[in-house]
Amino acid sequence: MRAVLFKSEGAVQVGEVPDPTILAPGDAIVRVTRSAICGSDLHFFHLKAPVEPGDVMGHEGVGVIEAVGDGVTSIHPGDRVVVSFHACCGTCWFCRQGETALCEKGRIFGAGLFGGRLAGTQAELVRVPYADVNLLVLPETIDDDRAIFLGDVATTAVYAASLAAARPGETAAVVGLGPVGSLCIQALFAAGAERVVALDRDPARLALASAAGAVTVHVDERNPEMALAALTEDRGADVVIEAVGHPEAFASALDVVRRGGRIIVAGMYAGEVTDLQLGVWWARALDVRFTGLCPVHSWWERAAALLADGSIDPMPLISHRLPMEEAQAGYAAFDRREATKVLLAP
Amino acid sequence: MARFITQEWVDAYVEEINASQEYLAAAAEWEGDIAFLIQAEPDKGVPADVWAWLDLQHGRCKDGRIIDAERAAGAAYGITAPYSRWKDVLEDELDPIKGMMQGKLKVRGDLPTIVRQVRAATELVRLTGLVKTEFPDEV
Repeated sequence: MRAVLFKSEGAVQVGEVPDPTILAPGDAIVRVTRSAICGSDLHFFHLKAPVEPGDVMGHEGVGVIEAVGDGVTSIHPGDRVVVSFHACCGTCWFCRQGETALCEKGRIFGAGLFGGRLAGTQAELVRVPYADVNLLVLPETIDDDRAIFLGDVATTAVYAASLAAARPGETAAVVGLGPVGSLCIQALFAAGAERVVALDRDPARLALASAAGAVTVHVDERNPEMALAALTEDRGADVVIEAVGHPEAFASALDVVRRGGRIIVAGMYAGEVTDLQLGVWWARALDVRFTGLCPVHSWWERAAALLADGSIDPMPLISHRLPMEEAQAGYAAFDRREATKVLLAP
Repeated sequence: MARFITQEWVDAYVEEINASQEYLAAAAEWEGDIAFLIQAEPDKGVPADVWAWLDLQHGRCKDGRIIDAERAAGAAYGITAPYSRWKDVLEDELDPIKGMMQGKLKVRGDLPTIVRQVRAATELVRLTGLVKTEFPDEV
């Protein structure tokens, strides 16, 4: 089959690899109809996390079931499904609590050694272990372009917004308006937030946020801390979602949150470090919650309902639709911040 | 009248520090240079970040300069805040020690050492009031 393969730092290529096969009774093979490039793919693209030449990239995928193992009970050939970006076993203690991202046997598609060497979704076919739990059968009301967001981005946003739990009268802020941050705005409103302030430096992303109903702050034109102070009688935001995964963004979240406020760290971190003034955090009574990976399996049905009823609309985020053969161009555009979401068709 | 924050303003401030017997007494034990980052607020007439640096030793200021970020990184202490916060400090509307504990002034370096020097910090703030200051957002 054809697949997007890691080539070297900053480069991918499309090449031939053997078709995946059923290796365990719980496996399914999905014929991919849509995959996508995600911001976290760039960590691997730039070798910030280890991948090897020839590894199949990508962790977002929608497709049709081609084959299932003998142990699969709820998924059948011909079903249209979305793949969870991380695979869990569904039976360990963490999975039984709904904390599937902390699964004892957890793996991530297309994440090399870091993800347990599970081949990625940017391919014609993908093998999905524990298929009964790691695939969601899609209703007809959600087309492939929307469904691709359920496996990661939209569900992550719904999860982060739920943790933020913005109450009536509160001001929520979102730092960073990539796909997750942008959908966090919609998810916050869907969860009942009354005012959302969106911070970024990209005019196109700020325009999308404004269209979604957010108050926008261009961080190069206005100091974010003082912008939030001006909106909140000098207090700061009640709750902040950090949706970037960079120490500067984390520092910005600390700057804009009020004393006693909440920070939800949804951006992905790997080896970054930052100074921590324990006394200041303590005196400010900060509530900092790192989301880790989103436990997709516990949240994707809620996210699907919000996509189906239009409360969350990811379509404005799609900036590029490319054939898989042009994956390198898609990665490069994403890397240059010229793309908000790149869909790939095998 | 000196514009905040320019070399002219820093020079006037250093002069006030070195003329103060109160600061000499309050900061007798203080050793260490401090870099102050005044963060940009383009809508307030501060288009770019500005670093000011004071070499404070035993109640005297040996030197004061506008410096670049690279040099500021070498200072023993760093204090960072948006321009408006510094203006609040200068106008006695924000207590600097309280501001540090509330995160309105971000400190790099040993925070307890600075907090213990509350009398010296208070005196440094009082002395800014003696500098005839023109604020960029009031021009």
